[in-house]
Amino acid sequence: MIRIEDIRTQARDILETGEVRAVIGWRRGSRGMAAEPVLISQPEEAESLVWDPTCFHNLSLNLVQERKRLARKGMASNKPLALVAKGCDARSVTVLLQENHFRREDVYVLGVSCEGSGVLDERKLARVLDGLTPDSAAYDGDDYVFQTEEGEKRLPAREVMADRCLECRSAYPRLNNAVFGEEKTRGLEAPFAALSRFEQNRGAERWDFWKRQFERCIRCFACRSVCPLCYCEECVVDSIRLEVTPETTADEKANRIRWIERSASRSDNFGYHMTRALHLAGRCIDCAECERVCPVHIPLRLLNNKLEREAREKFGYEPGASVDLPALVSSFRDDDPNEFIR
Amino acid sequence: MELILEKGRLDDWIAALEGWQAFAPSQEDEVWGYRPTASPVRLDHPNTVQPPKNFAFPQREVFFRFEQVKGEPPRLTPVEPDAARNVVFGVRPCDGRGVVRMDTVFSDHVEDSFYLGRRKNLAYVGLACLKPASRHCFCKSVGGSPVSTEGLDVLMTDLGDCWLLASATPVGETLMQAAGALLTEPSAEQRMELARRHEEALARPQKSAVADVGNAATRLKDNFDSPLWEELGKACIACGICTYLCPTCHCFDLNDEVSGGKPLRGGRVRTWDSCQFPDFTMHSSGHNPRDSLGSRLRQRVSHKFRYFVENFGTPQCTGCGRCVSQCPVGIDIVNVVNRVCASV
Repeated sequence: MIRIEDIRTQARDILETGEVRAVIGWRRGSRGMAAEPVLISQPEEAESLVWDPTCFHNLSLNLVQERKRLARKGMASNKPLALVAKGCDARSVTVLLQENHFRREDVYVLGVSCEGSGVLDERKLARVLDGLTPDSAAYDGDDYVFQTEEGEKRLPAREVMADRCLECRSAYPRLNNAVFGEEKTRGLEAPFAALSRFEQNRGAERWDFWKRQFERCIRCFACRSVCPLCYCEECVVDSIRLEVTPETTADEKANRIRWIERSASRSDNFGYHMTRALHLAGRCIDCAECERVCPVHIPLRLLNNKLEREAREKFGYEPGASVDLPALVSSFRDDDPNEFIR
Repeated sequence: MELILEKGRLDDWIAALEGWQAFAPSQEDEVWGYRPTASPVRLDHPNTVQPPKNFAFPQREVFFRFEQVKGEPPRLTPVEPDAARNVVFGVRPCDGRGVVRMDTVFSDHVEDSFYLGRRKNLAYVGLACLKPASRHCFCKSVGGSPVSTEGLDVLMTDLGDCWLLASATPVGETLMQAAGALLTEPSAEQRMELARRHEEALARPQKSAVADVGNAATRLKDNFDSPLWEELGKACIACGICTYLCPTCHCFDLNDEVSGGKPLRGGRVRTWDSCQFPDFTMHSSGHNPRDSLGSRLRQRVSHKFRYFVENFGTPQCTGCGRCVSQCPVGIDIVNVVNRVCASV
């Protein structure tokens, strides 16, 4: 059982002592049920922090954004930034540390073990509530409780929980400076259950499915923007780093390499999503934020899960398990299970 | 022209629209969007994920094709906009008002032949919102109404067992005339029922409201340098959802896309672009005048509630609420406008 008062107290304390310069957490939003990410730097603001089934966001994204913001301004910080992190979010902090995105002492992890109670899938909820839009959501044992204009609605959490939470294997944030909640995981579904279900379709059906998905993509790039591990300064789809000098010719500008065009056509969308999936192989820790934010419901998690399972089966690799592990694609092991590489 | 259509005869009306390709909201993988009509058309949709903006302003449009044979001058082939006549059903009044704003943008000073070429062959059949189509819509506080006919050719109102169709333009009258005997004169009771339902829709409170839209332009100007912009934009992840789903956002990019070599060929292509993308204002020197999240949020909100007012005398935002409901991090344009306008 997680008490929000405990998280608030700890956040207030570390702001008061000056141990951290700010805390990234969640607060009530202005638009209804869902919590929203917030960065607080005053101890009294800690009172506004919340913890409920709408704390979906992986706040390690905000660490990356804050680092980029400071870098752009040419500012350095000598104090760590704190964030509230679920088990999954803490794993993406781990990957960022593995990749030397920042140093361990730059981050203060207020770990929250959700104890397997997970976060809400708003689309599943919409199906169940059929038009009713709740004003708030709360944990209560095995249930989620919603306040709606027609009064309180109580639903078994597993009916409206995000797939990734149903399949979660480690709800406990191993990387932490302080931790709330117990080391418990529910494992309501087997790992990769949604992927396995999907793979029961025949190849031609799967191809038709993905064609339909990529046809629908509008290239708003929310999947990329929301991903803490999509931190490249220049993405393969944005050709913005060509150095232009007075000597640069029109031909040089026109002929700069563009792997993927800006057009939201099916083939270019396919190129974009495949490239992104491959760049996340062995790195994605399945926070599934890309899938949650997609306005046209492309189930991107299936792509990332597929590669996550490959990494696990072929190389025994689990992204975000430990800061001390080398990154999958930049490591070599004498006991690699594959013969061809030895 | 006000006429009655029985609920079961909507598909017959659509079938009677000879020479028109009809579109209406339907679901694909639970995504509501405008697609070619398939019987039965129900018109019981919430807000579609995307507005009907694509019909006149598609996300990708080829302006001309080029081919370059070595040693010869380049050959350019113009592309004519698709001449198909499209009629879009189920358009909500907020999106109808969006159409008017897009028409203004693409015909003021410069007439955009691609936009206008599509637009002249396009008709919108609207659907009155007797209940809000989204939890986050706020049309009434930005000068609109759930029964507005602005930008629409016909407005349909659900009277229970039938629709009442009201034409708003000559094109709308043509569409209704095509229905022939399918449409009948409304009875006095049906006219009263229409008035009653419209009044009820107008009186129904919306959950969200821009506090003082009349003074927003001035207040936003006064508060251009407010630190609130950075504060409110802090959580923004710089994706394009708010702008791509907006019925009135119209920024675009032009690129030459090469589709093959020997001989080199391709096309000049217009694609949507978004002021929320960090590279939108990136100069080739590397300098970026809108380098921060707050400055980009300010641009989006000021365009809707200040610059458009200064240029065309009306707010650009029509209150559909899509940018609010779909924002990954909960940025709420109503909250932003109200907070900035209320600050000293």
